[in-house]
Formats: sequence, C-alpha cells, structure tokens
Amino acid sequence: MATLAPPEQKAPPQHVRRKGVTERQRPLWLLTPGGLLMTVVIVLPLILAVWISLIDLDQYTLRRWVEAPFIGLGNYVESFSSGLLNSIWISVSFAVLSTLATVPIGIAAALVTQNKYRGRGLVRAAFLIPYVLPSFVVASVWRTMLQPDGIVNAWLSKVGVDGGLWLSGPRSYWTLILVEIWAAWPFIYLMALAALQSVDHEVHEASAVDGATWWPKLTRVILPYLRGPVLLACLLATLNHINNFTLPFVLFGAPAPDDVNVMPMIVYVTSFQSLRFGLSAAMAVLSLVLIAIPLFVYLRAVRLDVHEEGGRK
Amino acid sequence: MSTSASLEATRLLPRWLLATLTTVLVALVLIPVLYIVLASLNSDVGVASGEFWPSSWSLDSYSRIWRTADLSSGILNSLIVCAFTAVASAILGTTTAYVLVRYTFFGRLTILRGLVGLQSIPGTLMLLPVFVLFSSAGNYLGITVIGTRWGLFIAYLTFALPFSTWVMVTYLRGLPRELEEAARTEGASTIIILWKIIFPLSLPAIVVSGIFAFLLGWNDVLFASVLTRPETHTAAVALSILGSAQEGGALPVYSQTMAASLICALPVVLLYLTFQRYLVGGLTAGGVK
Repeated sequence: MATLAPPEQKAPPQHVRRKGVTERQRPLWLLTPGGLLMTVVIVLPLILAVWISLIDLDQYTLRRWVEAPFIGLGNYVESFSSGLLNSIWISVSFAVLSTLATVPIGIAAALVTQNKYRGRGLVRAAFLIPYVLPSFVVASVWRTMLQPDGIVNAWLSKVGVDGGLWLSGPRSYWTLILVEIWAAWPFIYLMALAALQSVDHEVHEASAVDGATWWPKLTRVILPYLRGPVLLACLLATLNHINNFTLPFVLFGAPAPDDVNVMPMIVYVTSFQSLRFGLSAAMAVLSLVLIAIPLFVYLRAVRLDVHEEGGRK
Repeated sequence: MSTSASLEATRLLPRWLLATLTTVLVALVLIPVLYIVLASLNSDVGVASGEFWPSSWSLDSYSRIWRTADLSSGILNSLIVCAFTAVASAILGTTTAYVLVRYTFFGRLTILRGLVGLQSIPGTLMLLPVFVLFSSAGNYLGITVIGTRWGLFIAYLTFALPFSTWVMVTYLRGLPRELEEAARTEGASTIIILWKIIFPLSLPAIVVSGIFAFLLGWNDVLFASVLTRPETHTAAVALSILGSAQEGGALPVYSQTMAASLICALPVVLLYLTFQRYLVGGLTAGGVK
C-alpha cells in the first residue's frame, strides 16, 4: 500500500478507519460483480489462450476444442517460420518511430498553448480533434485521401510529384506511421501541457531576471521539468502503438500488405482468415511477452506518479 | 503593468515562432478535417477524381449513405451496447473503487496494479479465447452469446472496467471521509452510503468513467467484427466494411464514406465538447484514450 501513496499520506486515515469500521464490516462482497467479470472474460480467456497455443486447433476441431490434439510447443516453433519475427520487427519499429515523431510535435503544441491569448481556447480544441475522432473514422478518411486518384496525389501532381501508391507496397509502412502520428500526437501534447502548467511561476520569473533568451531558457530550465511526464507518456504511447489494431485494419483491410503486417494484424488474420487458431494463440502469447517489457517498466514508473496524478484530479 | 510583465516572464517562445508553429499545427489538423466536410458535400465521382472544392455541392451523400451501408442499425446497435456499457461500467467502477480506496484487505495491491496493467493487454490476445469461450457457451450450455448485443456488452464492460475503476480510485482518494463516518455512526449501510453520499459527491468522475467506457465500445472494431452478426453490426463495423468493399471493384462511394465518417464521429465529438473540462483531466490521470 505504501508503494501506491506516500506513507505519511496514508497513515492517519488508517488510524481513523480502525476506529470507525471493524474488520467484519468490510463490504468486500461489492467486489464480486467486477471480480466475476474479470475472471470470466479476462483471467479464464488468458489461461485458455495459453492452452489453445499448445493444441492443434483449426476450423475442424473448433466445435469440440476440448478434444483437439495436444502438440506442445509445436505452434510456437511454427510461428517463427510463419513471419512472426518480421511482424515483431515491423510493430516495434513502427511503434518507436511513431512515438519519437510525436514527441517534438506534442511538446511544440504544448508550448504554443501555454500562454493566454485571444483564440487560445479554439486552438486547444482544434489540437484535440485528431485524438477525439475514433480510430476507425481517422483510418477511413485517410484511406479515401490516399487513394491512387485521391486528393493527396492530386495535390502532389500539381507540384509535379508523382504520388504513386500509398496503400500497398513498401510505402504502406510509412503511410501507417504518418497516419498514426497524425492521430496520436495530441496524447503527448496533453501530457506535456499538464506538466508545463505545473512548473512554478517563480521558475519563469527567475530565469527572466537572469535575462536568459528564450532558447537556453527553454532547453535548460523548462524542458527538464517535462522529461519525467513525457517519458512516461512515451512508454504508454509506444504500448498503444504496438497494440493498435484498428488503424492498420481499416486503413489497409485484412490481410494487410506484407509491409504493414503488424502483430495485431498477423494474429487476427491467422485466427479469423487462415483459421489456424492454435498458431494464432501462440503468436498472441509471444506478443504479450514482448508487451510485458515496456508494461513492466511503466507499472514501476506509474506507482511513483500515482500520488501526484491522484492529487491533480 | 505587473500582469503584462508576469505574462512576459512565462512566455516561452518568441512571437514569430509562436505564430508559425500555431499556424502549422492548426493547418495540419484542420485541412484533413475540412476535407472530410467538403468531400461529404461533394459527389462520389468528384471525390474519386481528387477534388478538394466540390464541383457540385449537394447533401446527396447524407441521404444515400443510409441505403448504401447498414448504418442506421449499426448506429442503433452501437448506441444501445455502449450506453449500457457506460452505465454499468460507471456503477461497478465506483463501487469497486470505493472498496479499494476505503478498506484494506489481502490482495488489494495486486488488484490496483492489475487495474493499470490490464489496460495494456492486447485485444488481439483476448479475442480468440473470448470467442472460443462465448461459442462454447452456445455449444455446451445452450446459451447463444456470439452475435448478440449482450455478448458484446459483456466484453466491452469487462475491458472498460479497469479504466473506469482506476478513474474512480484516483478521484475517491481525494474525497474526505467525514460524511461517510458520520453516516456510518448513524447506522447507515454501505449501500445507503454509496447511494446517498459517494454517488452524488463523485458525479463528475462518474461521468468521466462512463464516457470513457462508452468511447471504448464506440471505437472498437476488433471485437465487434468477430462477435457480431450482420443484424448486430456496430457503426464501426459498418464503416470499415464500406471501406474494404470499394477494393472489390464496386462503384466508388467515397463521398458517402466521408458522410458516414462524420456521422460516426458526431456522438463522440458532442460528448467531448460537452464534457471537455472533465475529460482532459481524466485523460492525463489515466493516460488512456
């Protein structure tokens, strides 16, 4: 418990609680509906996913999946020869590049909306638009704009550039990154803005008295305040990029072109188009192992920030 | 004078840079948005040939889309499933968070950590086993879950619950407990305390956790594409089918797709505009869309 809130915050209420409510009165039964749902729809399926990854389950054995043959690690071995490594590479590079690109945009947006001016409210509302729009809407819109005869190529040809194909071939990878950047930078912006607003006014004034010009003041005084929150946001953003299924699915359709066959896509297609359920489950379990690394770091980091974030609300 | 001086002190960027950056960023966002609106007022052929300004303006796409795609039943299904998810998730999230914040018990820390961790479990990992489990309920117990609205509701509720609960945990932590203690000594039961004290006091946070649950369902394509039949398709599935159908050589319906996109975005945009103040706080606290 002490890990979730500073001990000095936690101690006095504990004392009061012991007086007010006896152990017997704890209404733990209130946890049952949530606990039941979690068990049936998350814990059981997680165990089931591991089990399915160890059996040879396809469309013929699906109806009586309990009796499907057990093949041990066969699916795991096969998943490495079925393009999983390629998908892992695409997913990770796509996620990291998207995160790296959104950081400067998000911080810049936070910096320009920090000071009050007429119309700032409108600018802030506009900055939230890409984030507010559902992923499937963003993907449909960009899919239309990036058609071979669509608006993007029409504009490119006006300046004498042959646009070519955006939604298939090697370039689809960069299309995916560009659209993801367009949709995801406001997240970094929100986190950076929250951090920027918690910088003390004295800090600003002190550096103004020092007569520092804007660039050194920004890089030496202000940006260090953003490092922690923005790093945390980066971890979370990277996890969200890796898990993003909707964007590639709606942008390119399933099966996706080889160059954008990210992990969620290959898991989905192997299950629901190739109907190789066992193989797909093995891939999904392996992808969870990959997710677990940044997730673990995030869980460690977020505990330290819980108090601060809880206090802000 | 002093206010302008202090304003000057917090100004981080020189004016010219501020103006340039703002213009570029706003253009980056608004040009695609303007394009959606213009394309939805254009004709399908006009959009297909790459026009920005429509050569002929009409509201045709908005009337024809309802026949082209099964959008009306999709929106109805989405609204029903997501509204129930929002209400159930907000209520369950509040009661669960109340116990987690106000009482200590074995396993409490694990649950709290789980609430944060579960938000990052990939949906594609859960989809197959949930599908197998739901279809087993049909095969072995005779209960049809796949293809029904309430099957989707159960799935969304479960995936929304960790975040809803987390939002409520961060809020309830800051709530003073004097009122509850007083009610408790008057002999009020936990249910009465929740209903008469906790719910009214934490209404802003409850609204936030409900809206996020609603959006989780509204934005989902993954589960809806597998757990629904054509009659129970959600708006998201209807729109993504419309997009991939055009690959199959069907007549282009690009303008109608843009109209449908705007229609599908409308509820979400309205929710954000109405509750913008609360939601931005919720976003930064929970760090999840």
